[in-house]
Amino acid sequence: MLDFALYVATIAAVYALFALSLNLQAGVTGLLNFGHVAFFGVGAYSSGIVALHGGHWLLGVLVGVVVSSLLGAVIGRLGRTLAADYWAIVTLAVAECLRLVVVNEGDLTGGPQGISGIAGPFSSVSGLAGSLSWLVLCVVLAALAYLVAETLTGMQFGRVLRLLREEPMLAASLGHNITAEKTRVLAVAAPIAAVGGSVYTLYISYIGPNQLLPIETFLVFTMLIIGGIGNNRGAVFGALVIQLIYAGSRFLKDIFPIPDQSASSVRLLIVGLVLTAFLMTRPEGLFAEKLRRIDVHQ
Amino acid sequence: MLIRRRLMKPAAVLGLAVVLAACGGTAADTGGGGGDAASGGSDAKAGAVNIGAVLPLTGSSASIGEDQRRGIELAVAKINEDGGVMGKDLNVIVEDSAGAANSAIDAAKKLVTVDKVAAVMGEYSSGVTVPLGQYLQQEGVIHMNVGSSSPEIAGIGDKSFSVIGLDTIASKFASEQLAGRGLMRAAIMVPNNSYGEGIVQPFTDAFKAAGGSVTETVLYTEGQTSYRAELERIAASKPDVVLYSAYGQDSSVINQQAFEGGMQKTPWFGIYLTMCTVDSAPATVQNQIGMDVNYVGPEGQDYQKAYEAKYGEGFASTFSGYTYDATMMLAKAIDDAGSTDADKIAAALKKLGSGYAGATGDITFDDQNQRSEQPYLVLKYTDGKVVEEG
Repeated sequence: MLDFALYVATIAAVYALFALSLNLQAGVTGLLNFGHVAFFGVGAYSSGIVALHGGHWLLGVLVGVVVSSLLGAVIGRLGRTLAADYWAIVTLAVAECLRLVVVNEGDLTGGPQGISGIAGPFSSVSGLAGSLSWLVLCVVLAALAYLVAETLTGMQFGRVLRLLREEPMLAASLGHNITAEKTRVLAVAAPIAAVGGSVYTLYISYIGPNQLLPIETFLVFTMLIIGGIGNNRGAVFGALVIQLIYAGSRFLKDIFPIPDQSASSVRLLIVGLVLTAFLMTRPEGLFAEKLRRIDVHQ
Repeated sequence: MLIRRRLMKPAAVLGLAVVLAACGGTAADTGGGGGDAASGGSDAKAGAVNIGAVLPLTGSSASIGEDQRRGIELAVAKINEDGGVMGKDLNVIVEDSAGAANSAIDAAKKLVTVDKVAAVMGEYSSGVTVPLGQYLQQEGVIHMNVGSSSPEIAGIGDKSFSVIGLDTIASKFASEQLAGRGLMRAAIMVPNNSYGEGIVQPFTDAFKAAGGSVTETVLYTEGQTSYRAELERIAASKPDVVLYSAYGQDSSVINQQAFEGGMQKTPWFGIYLTMCTVDSAPATVQNQIGMDVNYVGPEGQDYQKAYEAKYGEGFASTFSGYTYDATMMLAKAIDDAGSTDADKIAAALKKLGSGYAGATGDITFDDQNQRSEQPYLVLKYTDGKVVEEG
């Protein structure tokens, strides 16, 4: 049981990285990145490919950070003539293209089979010590990402980003280069998700193209909405809550006498009900964005 | 606070809806029989022998997953009626994989670390089974592949067994069938995924060895609305026969467009023909030939009767027999070993797997613990149904 709890907490910390990254884009800057999973994929596959060629795991993480940052910058430049909603569609397309490249470049990426047997930093540590090492690593990374995100949103850069979200025309008239700011925030946010992707891949020692489907992006959006979009603390707790709901609901059938054949459907139903009830009773999420509260009180 | 902000909530709620819908899939499709409510509460039972299963109970393969679960349910009922395992009841804890690798590993983690199961069966898609098997191998837990056929599975390790023949065997059988009919120039059309990729190389090798040649190989991207470009490539290579495999919506679109293009004049050979034709309009697949797994072996008659009695219908898919056999074999192996130690179970399984009379025919493991012989049926699609070819 302890092992499973450690596992759930580790995965939640990894998801916190994804959520913090997306929060910088969607929550703070208002960039609806529907292709967020691409950054996860770049990190994951960098680690996988480097491991496949016998490289050190740190090298994989590093490659993921650099490549994802470049990809982020490119995606930021990509949409400079597009309205926000069209840009969202482009990001979805970029992520899908990446997935198709991964499926078809079999020699490099293992194709549809994916890459398996990837050795991570604690592969030689077994049992409880191994699980604890992973948990500590992931929690430290999530904490670092949180600090980075808090610092970024707290400084002038963060204010510009929020202005970009609320009044892009005003931002432009004040002399802010919208494309440059967009490019900058994506280049900073992408590596956070890439590190998450790397660590996740090293942890479960497998990556396949089916983990790059758009549904993974929407799962992270769900975390943001539950946690409170625009708030870094919300992103972290959103990730934790969603992970707890998904993992915890596996035990429903152990507690209540649900027939085997409908247990899984009941589980999904409960997850859906909990999330819907949550959105109805607390639409602003667990932690509302502070800035907005100030606006309201004026 | 404008457009951007207003756009965000609906978009995200939409995203949430997509997540849930995708997870839900055909989850509701559990109909067709008197469920046994009393079997609920499948926590690891004290005083029982616990094994686990990871199946796609929700998502796009949910109807197969449910049928796999039925096989287990029937096996457990039979084993416990006959005195259980090591004098105790057998208890199988079934977890949902939602058809995705990461939630399959979530599920396996729970089975291994919380329920402390002696073995885990699963899954259906090759792309999920491989990482699942590797995780179990790493944890030193017995893995039973009950539904996937990618040759990649053979390399998982000494704790991983397959009760279903991999595509190496299926491909060899298909190549013999084609060569036997004098169809020596074949074009291959299979999905570009773990499963499709597993067919291409073994078939090409076996077919060449049998004197045939492959005129064109198409690995198509799933979920397209048109396959005309792929079909034209096939037609341009002028094959004697099109060897193909497809499921769900894809199979229906491919067959429809091949039919419209007049390509059905060339013989079509379906790998797992039932799966390839079940969703297609009957006229478009008339006279297709193909092969399918033979799910009722000589020992399978009792199993078939039990299934029909319990669920009030014939087999919903070809896959319940494999989970049934896997459960029976695991129970017997644990009983023989007198222990739930993985190494001892593996040794007992190896011993058991030489001519074991299963519901899906004789099961013999090769030196990689994979089923080495798999009986197949040769089938033909005639007037709306698949019939055995004499």
